Amino acid sequence: MSEPTLLRVREVTTTFDTPTGPLTAVDAVSFDLAAHESLGVVGESGSGKTVLSRTIMGLQPRRGVSVTGSVLLNGTEVVGASEQAKRELWGRQVAMVFQDPMTSLNPVVKVGKQIDEVLRVRLGMDRSAARARAIELLEMVGIPAAATRYSAYPHSLSGGMRQRVVIAIALAGSPQLLLADEPTTGLDVTIQAQILNLLDEVQGRLGMSTILVTHDLGVVATRTRRLVVMYAGRVVETGTTRDVFARHRMPYTRALLESSPKVSNPSHTRLAAIPGRPPNLLDLPAGCAFAPRCAYATERCHHERPVLEPADETGHLFACFNPLPLRAASPS
Amino acid sequence: MSENLLSVRDLTVTFGPRGRRVSAVDGVSFDVAVGETLGLVGESGCGKSTTGRALMRVVEPTSGTVTLEGLDLTAASGRTLRERRTAMQMIFQDPISSLNPRRRARDIVAEPLDCWKRATGEERRRIVDDLLTQVGIDPVAYGDRYARQFSGGQCQRISIARALAMRPKLLICDEVVSALDVSVQAQILNLLEDLKAEYGLTLLFIAHDLAVVKNISDRVAVMYLGRLCEIGPADTLYAAPAHPYTRFLLGAALEADPEAPRRHEILEGEPPSPLDPPSGCRFRTRCPFATERCANETPALTEVAPGHRVACHYPLRVTVTPGPATTRTGPTGSGPSDAT
Amino acid sequence: MSSSLELSELVEEATETPDGRRLGVLFWLCVGWLALNLLAAVLANVLPLENPLTQNYNAVNAGPSLHHLFGTDDLGRDIFSRVVFGSRVSIEAGLGSMVIGFGVGAPLGMLAAYRRGRFDQILTVVMYVVLAFPAIIATIAILSFWTPRTLLKIIVVIGVAAIPLVYRVIRTATLAVATQDFVVAARVQGASDTRILVRELLPNVAPIAVSFLLIGVATVVTLEGSLAFLGLSVAPPTPSWGNMINESRTILQLNPWLALFPAAAMCLFLLALNFIGDRLRTHFDVTEGKL
Repeated sequence: MSEPTLLRVREVTTTFDTPTGPLTAVDAVSFDLAAHESLGVVGESGSGKTVLSRTIMGLQPRRGVSVTGSVLLNGTEVVGASEQAKRELWGRQVAMVFQDPMTSLNPVVKVGKQIDEVLRVRLGMDRSAARARAIELLEMVGIPAAATRYSAYPHSLSGGMRQRVVIAIALAGSPQLLLADEPTTGLDVTIQAQILNLLDEVQGRLGMSTILVTHDLGVVATRTRRLVVMYAGRVVETGTTRDVFARHRMPYTRALLESSPKVSNPSHTRLAAIPGRPPNLLDLPAGCAFAPRCAYATERCHHERPVLEPADETGHLFACFNPLPLRAASPS
Repeated sequence: MSENLLSVRDLTVTFGPRGRRVSAVDGVSFDVAVGETLGLVGESGCGKSTTGRALMRVVEPTSGTVTLEGLDLTAASGRTLRERRTAMQMIFQDPISSLNPRRRARDIVAEPLDCWKRATGEERRRIVDDLLTQVGIDPVAYGDRYARQFSGGQCQRISIARALAMRPKLLICDEVVSALDVSVQAQILNLLEDLKAEYGLTLLFIAHDLAVVKNISDRVAVMYLGRLCEIGPADTLYAAPAHPYTRFLLGAALEADPEAPRRHEILEGEPPSPLDPPSGCRFRTRCPFATERCANETPALTEVAPGHRVACHYPLRVTVTPGPATTRTGPTGSGPSDAT
Repeated sequence: MSSSLELSELVEEATETPDGRRLGVLFWLCVGWLALNLLAAVLANVLPLENPLTQNYNAVNAGPSLHHLFGTDDLGRDIFSRVVFGSRVSIEAGLGSMVIGFGVGAPLGMLAAYRRGRFDQILTVVMYVVLAFPAIIATIAILSFWTPRTLLKIIVVIGVAAIPLVYRVIRTATLAVATQDFVVAARVQGASDTRILVRELLPNVAPIAVSFLLIGVATVVTLEGSLAFLGLSVAPPTPSWGNMINESRTILQLNPWLALFPAAAMCLFLLALNFIGDRLRTHFDVTEGKL
């Protein structure tokens, strides 16, 4: 807790101009991330988690998007920064691992060269130093026979290996913040476990902060220290991962947890499904976006928008007018 | 539960030209009893989806037999095959591509009825409306919409309604919830359980998600590289896996619980290519317990506990009373963690 | 696969209103123009037009006037009337050859993509062999020897040359659809092959076929023009846009109108066809789930 703040996100709102009207994908999101800390951002389709991670990176199309608020990364403002300034940040301060390792690698360039490029352009290394470092990075991310794989093309590698290469590229500039957007979605369970362990290990070894964006509560449960739960572009609950899992106050958080099947459940366990459909961002209700699907919703929820309020002194916040009572024993 | 609805014997599917033969499914045998749900799990490329499709003869099995209600499906062809096959229906992974984007929900559900001229006019309309209502789609408000206007979850509901139109005995679900959001996934799983009870269905539930399979299945079969490793009652198989692969697979599954013990036994490496599978036991190249015998001799499925069969020369001890996962031990007394 | 929405998807989702896509004013203008052309070609005989073959030596190479809207040619024939009658040759050649090309190529392409296997392999090889001939040179060669040249022969030659092209486009379009799960679903419900081809595949291939058909007609109109320019199309004095331009060659400086009007008519006709074809293709592109 005494670590300095690395990332300070304040009231970030990302709005897309669409022919049918403005679409607010991220709505007044604020949070802090300390150095060496791991944060999970969880949400379903349309929760804005992916847009949020791209906004933090400063990756938006040039037109049709407006971003307000502030993203301070190590004292540098990302919102409204020039391409030049952002290029200074990318790679060295912040790097990103995308979901699909196939499309985030250039299919016609050898994987080693793709790492080289980052090293030479960003860090100004010479050819031979870059090559040596690239092989070192490939070894670090657990690619066997790294020196040989240096000259492999992405298509000759399996999905898990490709994701390792993507991570190696992200680590090339020794960033202080690593943003991983669904890094294991689409990978097999055993490969997923390998990649998550790798991310854990490099975070500890390099002293980075990580943001893990995912729809899978299983991915963040034991891999992050703090959690942000998003729904319809807004943060609905945030706190330490343990608190959010065990002492959640927002009904959506509970619904999300209870609708996830668990390996430890006996067979034919009936899941508590959330009724209704995920929200339509173009037609959000005036009040709480979850109200139409919420069992606890009252008249007030439909008209007034709840703001985040503290649950206790540990930084656990929730946005709900009818918070769930704290369950004394045996959390879900 | 003793009567078998479906019997699969030595099902083998190979693809590709000579020299580049891929053995996708190799000698898979199992039975599905009337009214049960059999879960089929495995990682990508293990042949679970191909198995499902070969049962329907959407891909042609190279050899082996598939018997549904005592009738051999592998021998049938033409109209006989098409007719017999209606007792078996399939739902697919991609909800969007499962429905013809240019047809209306009502017509999609009615398609099987139209094919077999089972109902027309008012009766057809009534059956379709009932089916749509049952899967949670309002026929009045949504029946005339085009498939492309529905969300993923809704598309999957329409697919289910279509599959039920012929009153099938067996429903093959191929990764039906893996493209859906968690909240929608739970809705669809519950819907399947409800419809199973109502229609007296038998389910073959193919998925890669271990938690999903555990929640819905009575028995679970695990596949690796085209072969069946282990098959048994869901609860005991998960509590005490006998095949080393099953144990690694379960160890890698993520539990949505921060207090869950972090398992350190991680399966290293990746599956070998199905173009050139290892001799003997196909898991031996990654198995910490593998010996000479595993390379020379293909292990057969043998019973290790009632209804629990495993294809391994050195099965892990099956504890009769399911205990915590950490107390399980290997056959030689050393856990896989030592070997990795 | 994922639950995350990409930026582009978000924007797309927002742009997409159910069935609310508009074709635009320009599209309808083009349709109107084509309709006018077709109508004029069909009704040319009953319209109050001058006989396109009547020569009038009192008004040779006249510029546009109220009496001769587009002027007259070197034999004093009314250019407006000749442009209208000339459109018949172009349109008949375009539509006729496409009827042959699609009549044979489209069913074969769909069948090959649906059935796959040996049938597809053999057919595809045959089509590629045919495609390997330089079609235009072959067409020119055949038409030079196959005399007397009538419009029907031209249509047959171009139509046959179009079969492998149509086959290839339709086969590719069908393949993209035939691999989708709804086709498998139809099979397992017991739908017959014919039913799948007609009910599931055809509606999804038809929009691509229609837009390709329009562009095909445009190509044939150009081709007929080129053949006429080489003197290989219908024999004079029957007017066609192509042979009118050909005739104007020698007196271009004296009478530019003679070249301008048939060229403009052809150009606008092609522009409209291509625009409509292109617009329809994007309009009907719903197969890739935009949900």
